[in-house]
Amino acid sequence: MISPQRVSAIATNTVREAIRNKVLYVLLFFALVLISTGVLLSTLSYVERDRILQDVGIAAIRFFGAAMAIFLGVGLIHKEVDRRTIYTVLSKPLSRSEFLLGKYLGLVATLWLQMAVMGVGFAVTSWLSEAPLDAGHAYAIGLAGMEAALLAAVATMFSSFSTPLLSALFSVGIYLVGHLTRDLRELGAASGSEGTATVTSLLHRVLPDLESLNLSIQAVHGLPIAPAEVAFAVLYAVGYSAALLVFATILFQRRDFR
Amino acid sequence: MSDAPEEIVVVDELVKDFRPGFGLRKKRVLHGISFKVRRGEIFGFVGPNGAGKTTTLKVLMGLIHASGGRASILGHDIGESAYRRHVGFLPENPWFYDHLTGREFLDFYARVAGVGVAGRADRCAELLDRVGLSHAADARLRTYSKGMLQRAGIAQALVHDPSVVFLDEPMSGLDPIGRKEIRDLILRLHTEGKTVLMNTHILSDVEMLCDRVAIIVQGRIRYEGCIGDFLQNEERATDVVLGAVSPDVVEQFETRFEAGVKGRGDRIEFRVAEKHLEEVLRIALDTGAEVKAVTPHRVSLESIFLSAVEAEGAER
Ligand SMILES: Nc1ncnc2c1ncn2[C@@H]1O[C@H](COP(=O)(O)OP(=O)(O)OP(=O)(O)O)[C@@H](O)[C@H]1O
Ligand SMILES: [Mg+2]
Repeated sequence: MISPQRVSAIATNTVREAIRNKVLYVLLFFALVLISTGVLLSTLSYVERDRILQDVGIAAIRFFGAAMAIFLGVGLIHKEVDRRTIYTVLSKPLSRSEFLLGKYLGLVATLWLQMAVMGVGFAVTSWLSEAPLDAGHAYAIGLAGMEAALLAAVATMFSSFSTPLLSALFSVGIYLVGHLTRDLRELGAASGSEGTATVTSLLHRVLPDLESLNLSIQAVHGLPIAPAEVAFAVLYAVGYSAALLVFATILFQRRDFR
Repeated sequence: MSDAPEEIVVVDELVKDFRPGFGLRKKRVLHGISFKVRRGEIFGFVGPNGAGKTTTLKVLMGLIHASGGRASILGHDIGESAYRRHVGFLPENPWFYDHLTGREFLDFYARVAGVGVAGRADRCAELLDRVGLSHAADARLRTYSKGMLQRAGIAQALVHDPSVVFLDEPMSGLDPIGRKEIRDLILRLHTEGKTVLMNTHILSDVEMLCDRVAIIVQGRIRYEGCIGDFLQNEERATDVVLGAVSPDVVEQFETRFEAGVKGRGDRIEFRVAEKHLEEVLRIALDTGAEVKAVTPHRVSLESIFLSAVEAEGAER
């Protein structure tokens, strides 16, 4: 039912549009600057030089990935409607779900492309300052990519029915809460109150558990990371994103483009 | 598609309500309209601003959902999407991905429309040539003029060689040469046997191009049929411009022929019914007036629109 040719046409056009947009290069430049300032910071301290350097680096990648996912995601559909490009695209034998999927995959490809560049920047700075590099770092950056993809789905979902500003507010909200649900659940469990514990564990289950995609501490401290844990996190992110997209499609189907 | 119906587009009691803002108040834009477009014709969908032409086309293209009624294209309900590979659409005031070049733009739409790799590049080049954009094929759309964008839009509508083409005001914003080019393009589609439905509020375009029309005013169809029949039933009139007319002659025109005379002295202007034209001109020449212009005037679509709008106002 879903045609790969049509979806990929939409996706490549989305990537092409992003690549030809200068704003992204500015963002990318800042991200690379931030990653390399880790080197500067680390020279200030004699202890744990590598740790500081890589902490800053991975944090920068995670932050910029998330920020760009939300920033680009909230405008993804809105821009097409606003510029009325959606009229001609949807007048072709293309279903709305194919359109939405193509836009989303194009966005994810854009984000991953950017994060790959940042990852290379991270590897180069680490290598120049002779900090250890191993699979742990790759896992951490990979999961940062999954977090960006999940946030892109959150933003796409909101933007399929809401304005960019509201979508951005909602998405940032989900981002912040998504990093707290684990702690909230722990707190709820420790509170001793049955009700609080149920509510916080429900929140943890319903909202995206973004901390499960955060391996920066393990990576930076060189702690062992089980591949199964990574695989599970990837599956979690893919499943959660897919569910969001299905929901977004349902909302998107009902819309009038006027 | 030999068993495809002769009636290519069938619109049946279509209703559309908009909800402006967040309130529950509804605004009915289409009041149950019905019309049919037959195979191979150029059908004009004509009406004043705000009549509901664009809304109707958007419903037909599945961009907005009808609140009631039915419509089908090539025998398929408009809720489906697969049949759209036989349908091309040019929206009103089109705007496109301006980061693409003309060639990339067409290639993109060809891919979305499911045109195979084989022959796609040739097809795009041929279409660019057909709409006169070959020279700008490798320039970004953001450098295109309005007329060029309109033509790119038409190329986009034709890229998958559809048998039915919907055009929403294809000539708007174009200069006379541009309008002529688009008209020729539409006529060529007609000779190729394609069915064309076009929205417009310009009568001369309709007269030159269309076989049949539907006239829509404030969300209701006022007429459907041949444009010739429609105009024949209308009383014709002539606009006359005279110079050097004496005041008593002016008065005579006003009382005898009910001509609303505008201006005075060396330039007066009025409209008379066709049957009085000869007499008026004779009087003018006999009294030594100077005949500056005599323009036959078809009771314009404008006045039909106006009378329909007035009738609407009276109903309320
Ligand atoms: N998004 C909308 N929300 C509310 N009302 C709308 C919306 N879009 C159009 N309308 C109303 O619907 C009516 C029909 O609009 P439509 O655009 O279909 O007219 P049109 O015949 O295409 O006019 P034009 O010649 O100006 O293009 C108008 O009264 C307009 O105010
Ligand atoms: Mg219109």
